[in-house]
Amino acid sequence: MSLIKENILLLPSDPVRIGFIPLIDCAPFVIAKEKGFFAHEGVDVVLSKEASWASIRDKVAFNVLDGAHMLASMPIAATLGIGTIKKAMQTSFTVSHNGNGITIGNALYDELQHYSDSSADIRSGAALKKLIDSRDHQAVPLRFAIVYPYSSHNYQLRDWLSRVGIDPDKDVQITVVPPVKMLDALKSGEIDGYCVGEPWNSLAVEQGVGHMLVTGYEIWGSTPEKVFGVSSVWAEQNEPVHLAIIRALEKACAWVDESANQPELLSILSHPDYLNSTVEQLVYGFSAIKPKGQFDWPMEAYQRFSGSEINKPLPSYALWIMAQMHRWQQLEEVPSLNDVAEQVYRKDLYYKALGLDMDDDDSWRLSSGIEPNWLEAVSSGDVRLHSEGILKGFNE
Amino acid sequence: MTEPPAKELTVMLVDNEPARAAIVEQAMTDSGYRVIRRLENAKNLTEAVNQYQPDMVIIDIESPDRDMLENMSRLSQDNPRPIVMFAEEDDSRHVEAAIRAGVSAYVVDGVNSGSVKALLQVAIARFREFQALRSELESVKSQLEDRKLIDKAKGLIMKHQQCDEPAAYKALRKLAMDRSQRMTDVARNIISVMELMGDSK
Repeated sequence: MSLIKENILLLPSDPVRIGFIPLIDCAPFVIAKEKGFFAHEGVDVVLSKEASWASIRDKVAFNVLDGAHMLASMPIAATLGIGTIKKAMQTSFTVSHNGNGITIGNALYDELQHYSDSSADIRSGAALKKLIDSRDHQAVPLRFAIVYPYSSHNYQLRDWLSRVGIDPDKDVQITVVPPVKMLDALKSGEIDGYCVGEPWNSLAVEQGVGHMLVTGYEIWGSTPEKVFGVSSVWAEQNEPVHLAIIRALEKACAWVDESANQPELLSILSHPDYLNSTVEQLVYGFSAIKPKGQFDWPMEAYQRFSGSEINKPLPSYALWIMAQMHRWQQLEEVPSLNDVAEQVYRKDLYYKALGLDMDDDDSWRLSSGIEPNWLEAVSSGDVRLHSEGILKGFNE
Repeated sequence: MTEPPAKELTVMLVDNEPARAAIVEQAMTDSGYRVIRRLENAKNLTEAVNQYQPDMVIIDIESPDRDMLENMSRLSQDNPRPIVMFAEEDDSRHVEAAIRAGVSAYVVDGVNSGSVKALLQVAIARFREFQALRSELESVKSQLEDRKLIDKAKGLIMKHQQCDEPAAYKALRKLAMDRSQRMTDVARNIISVMELMGDSK
């Protein structure tokens, strides 16, 4: 252990380096930069396009980046040292809720027709369960792709499969494919389906290579998807800059959610420096227009960026994610779930940044009777998310 | 000449930069490690790892395929040798040096960390060397570009002011000093103004 205290204080002249992954939900970062919200807060931000979630995590952990567009579960995994070196990370701003979906390829969809009485059987996964049961045990298992092992995509896919009695570890194979390669992997038959964010579900439908079955919203209700994550040492040493970034992101999120701004938003995002794709491809990520297919998105399933219920960090979600990690054998035990949730999902800085009175609501805390059994209670299905999502809490 | 004895550790190298991969592979071989596979395109990385069963995977930090390796950290039916990112808690300086040099490393659970560190050192050194070479190349290139811009601007000034080269250079230099801009930037401005006026010949 190094005895020298890490010193990563930014000087006023230093640009702030923020990493992002070129996905629809990096929009608030791009807009805060391009529309001058960062500059207005006096922060000179340099955005850095990153190639993988692992790279985002490592560069934030070792201060190659000051902060980043992160999967909501990433600061938790890093803080607990799951799949990586243990480095305390935190978030005080949720960038988006929702936007995921599960899509399967045409071949699997056609096969499922033989095992279903109605389209509901296909969408629920019931037909998939029947198909798997009827398959030869020696057959190559069906393959589903996710984007990262410690992500809502992984946990939602596993939850959806297990609800109909499919064992995500034994009955199917779950692999990782970078989002931009998902469509090709589905086309080539390398994978049979995937759980990913938009526009990759809509594009599969539009291009006729797959069928979308269910949205993340229908599995979990409204839940955080991406956050602005920083290392805790950095946050401690650079609070004024951290708070200024949160203010800028809050304004950018409101801008992104304003439908009048959509044409400009799509044109900025499509730029080679950002998503490097066509406006036509991106439109599905935001608008109510979805490709013609057999499936309608419920309004609530769209990605949402703005409003206090979206942007405020929810420690209850950290509790939920730790339970998912436990359920899928990524995490054994945590001495105090409440403490980790509070340290990683820092509500206080959100209120401080926006000059609001801190809410004293700590109803999210697990009581001392529940805390020791919480991970198990969620894993066994005794505790579930409210059907409308995390804001409504849990059903027992 | 006798070959150095092959050390136990086997390595898979994943790098989209063929020149760098060749340098790193050579360095590893020279240090007595066995590079069992070098991949430029990491398509089906998971299968390649399962097939060749390396003790260690060294991968460019900028590779989009790193996330596939992150998924192999669990012992499961189709993943009999779980691999984890090399990240020793007691020695995070090693990891930091690797990340700054653009190297990330995954090791099979339980592999001796001493030899992993030694091998990581070899990779870090070569990645750094390559980084230095490339930035040198880039600076030479940009110097050349600067030269070209300045020559072109000088030519335009000579033609319009009907002056000789030293005078044109002096004029350019004065303009740069007055505006506290780089000579190259002034040259670029002059060229674009002339182009606008339809005369950049």
